[in-house]
Amino acid sequence: MGVADFGGEVKRERRGGTRRRKKMRRLRYRLDMTPLVDIAFLLLTFFMLTTTLITPQVMEMTVPPERTQVEVRQSELLTLRIRQDGRIFYSLGQDAPQPIELKDLRTLAVRENVRLKNRLITLLKASPNVPYGRVIAVLDVLNQAELEITEQLAREGLKRERRFAIAPMTEQDEQEIAQL
Amino acid sequence: MPKLKKRRLGFVLDMTPLVDITFLLLTFFMLTAKFKSEAESQQRFTIVRPQATADTSRLPDKDLAIIKIGIDTVAGDTSYYYEMTNETDWARVVGSMEQLQLPPNARQVKVGLSELDELIRRTRIVKPTTRFAIDADRRVRYKWVEDLMEVLRQNRATVFNFVTDRRPPEQPPM
Repeated sequence: MGVADFGGEVKRERRGGTRRRKKMRRLRYRLDMTPLVDIAFLLLTFFMLTTTLITPQVMEMTVPPERTQVEVRQSELLTLRIRQDGRIFYSLGQDAPQPIELKDLRTLAVRENVRLKNRLITLLKASPNVPYGRVIAVLDVLNQAELEITEQLAREGLKRERRFAIAPMTEQDEQEIAQL
Repeated sequence: MPKLKKRRLGFVLDMTPLVDITFLLLTFFMLTAKFKSEAESQQRFTIVRPQATADTSRLPDKDLAIIKIGIDTVAGDTSYYYEMTNETDWARVVGSMEQLQLPPNARQVKVGLSELDELIRRTRIVKPTTRFAIDADRRVRYKWVEDLMEVLRQNRATVFNFVTDRRPPEQPPM
């Protein structure tokens, strides 16, 4: 390796001429910066390896303050149920529950919301035994659909008002989807 | 020829720009580094967060109460853990609860559902603007989260956050 030059121009020390030499030394001296640079690199490596740049993100959730019975029209209700094994079922109004894949859920949410023009209420019921990650995955898909719904409704001159709720799964719900 | 060889052996390399960049990076990483909070260093579990699509909303640092649902790595049992980012509020909330029997410097407490209800109520009294976040492991049964949401609802904390991790774009949801 070559000589690392840290101190700007360095002139070679000349032999002889004691007086002159003394003056030169005071003005331009060679400072060995190797240990400093070593430490700097060490610290840099440490901080680079230990930092996590991604901070966790959040998903906002709102629940109604009171558990009251709200009368809704059956035709404006979309019930999503997540069974114990993680399978998702949807039913419109009083229709029989239909199984649906997670990837198709977005299309369904967009289609039904646009068709009913903001009046659709989405109700999510998850089995207590389903892993929490599955519920978040479903919520995430619904959140993604929201963008598209807002856009499509805006084209019709409507402002999106989200109507969504989470409800506990009843035994009746369990029975309805148990055999599917 | 010999003259040329000599020149090649001893050359001068100006390292100033390299050192400049190094120090710049070092300063950046040192200033952006966030150290583990005291509460985090006390916990005995790691949370495998559920993944969600990239979002711009971030976890606030000020006046936040975090309810963690974690699976203990040693015992393997699930439990609720409560912690708060504001130290003075934390002291006021926990200080009035004798039943917890906390060591003096504890920043996180393992609680059951009834104690959690009490903690949330006191938090709401001490500082009503405190925001709540649910940081749960994706493997826990949904029952844990459902019960917690019910407790939050009863305490009029109707807006809260689920803490998630960003899912890499190419990976399909689980």
